[in-house]
Amino acid sequence: MILLDRVTKTYGKTAKPAINRVSLHIEPKEFVILVGTSGAGKSTLLKLLTREEKPSSGKIVVGGIDYDTLKDKHIPLLRRKIGVVFQDFKLLPQRTVYENVAFALEIAGMTGREIKATVPKVIELVGLKGKEKSFPRQLSGGERQRVAIARAIVRQPKILIADEPTGNLDPRHSWDIVKLLEKINRYGTTVLLTTHNVEIVNKLKRRVITLEHGKITSDQVSGSYKQ
Amino acid sequence: MSRGNKSEAKVFALKKRRRRQWLTFVRMCRYGVNNFSRNAWLTIAATAMMTLTLFVILMTLVSRNILLDSVSEIKNKVDMSVYVEHNTKESDLKKLQTALEDIDDVTRVTYVTPQQARANYAQANRNNPRALDALNLADAKFPGTFRINVEDINDTSGLTKFTETNELYKKVHDADRPASFAGDKREAIANIGRWVSFAEKMGLLISIILVTISSLIVFNTIRMAIFNRKEEIEMMKLIGADKAFIRGPFVVEAVVYGFIAAIVATGLSLLALYGAQPTLESYGIIVGTTLENLIVYIGFVLPGMIVVGGVIGVISSLLATRKYLKI
Repeated sequence: MILLDRVTKTYGKTAKPAINRVSLHIEPKEFVILVGTSGAGKSTLLKLLTREEKPSSGKIVVGGIDYDTLKDKHIPLLRRKIGVVFQDFKLLPQRTVYENVAFALEIAGMTGREIKATVPKVIELVGLKGKEKSFPRQLSGGERQRVAIARAIVRQPKILIADEPTGNLDPRHSWDIVKLLEKINRYGTTVLLTTHNVEIVNKLKRRVITLEHGKITSDQVSGSYKQ
Repeated sequence: MSRGNKSEAKVFALKKRRRRQWLTFVRMCRYGVNNFSRNAWLTIAATAMMTLTLFVILMTLVSRNILLDSVSEIKNKVDMSVYVEHNTKESDLKKLQTALEDIDDVTRVTYVTPQQARANYAQANRNNPRALDALNLADAKFPGTFRINVEDINDTSGLTKFTETNELYKKVHDADRPASFAGDKREAIANIGRWVSFAEKMGLLISIILVTISSLIVFNTIRMAIFNRKEEIEMMKLIGADKAFIRGPFVVEAVVYGFIAAIVATGLSLLALYGAQPTLESYGIIVGTTLENLIVYIGFVLPGMIVVGGVIGVISSLLATRKYLKI
């Protein structure tokens, strides 16, 4: 589902590489946790996957799409196939929960009828039934993250990238979000989660990839993490 | 698949694509209008700036028109005069009038008889007994006067040539009174001419400067409004919105600013002109013609203002979003 082959990313000509010859293979339906200290290269790796950044060298293939042959005009189509969840939610502040989720379908050109049929189900799935007309400012951090997850999965992507989704949440809400991600994974979506939260990593007992100074230092099938 | 099925599939795909394009357009408009109505402060600030800009643009054009009307009025009042003996024959007067009218640049020639000139003088000096006494002296004879209006009061070469070369004029001209575009009077007329020309050039320059400054201000306001929402743009990009879909609502929003601002600015300009008309006209500034034109042509002025507002909005939002739409 995700393949990185000796990928290097360097910002500027003289700087040390943020990602240094990283090779990685993630199977469909896997739940993978990416850990590492700040500056280890996690965010750069995710940016390479969402094509916000181009690698300096190496090959990336996601969902069968080879990034070497991907034209700029097709990047929006690629991003519609990958769900992304951010630490700071990145919701549209002037739009309601329903509109935020529906937005992901509207940009794909789905009809109003299709949207009306899909959005309520996803809002219910993430546990926000009854909050459809609320604006993001009226929600708690955990609820906002649920909206972000609903928006990310509403198009039923094959891959869900969650970049520190619990970073701004208290432990109870953090765990709720992780359980939601597990549920989504059970439905068949490949999940790539980055986190600093040792407790979450150790409780989940999933594949854990550790990045340090831009290199993969460990890749455990049912791993743990020590800070 | 048969050829018929293929072409049916093509038509279906084309229909589907058109329906999607239409849906996208409708959604962009809806998002633009939503953004407009849900960002109250930003909307008020941007609309106010756009109103100010359009007001400045319209008032600049109106002021220029008023200036040109006033200048034209001054030009018409500045007439050049040539004088002939009071006893010049009627047939000679007619020949001279025709010769003067034939000169390029001359727009009007009026003959004032010595009797009329005398009456005008008496009327103008009715409160001056000494002047009236002088009028009764036997040798106080008035000449016949040709009053001449020219297109360009700075250029009297045609008239000068006439006074120097026309044999009939040389024979009947009043030797005591040189033509008004010669000697001391020439300098006075030349001064007015220079002032008028300066006023026209300055008017144009000030118009250009004001329109440029106000357009830059409104561009900056829209740019800042979009800068405030750059994270939204970032997010839209990351979830797969294409450039047109991201830009569309911002463009629609800016067009709505322009539309409302155009109506308000046109109304304000009309009110300002109505309010200022009596005061300005007491100083000899001709406002009435411009105001009448504005009202008669409001069906063109208002749509014109809406188009200007819309164009400024579209250009500003396109330029402002471009920066954030790089991959």
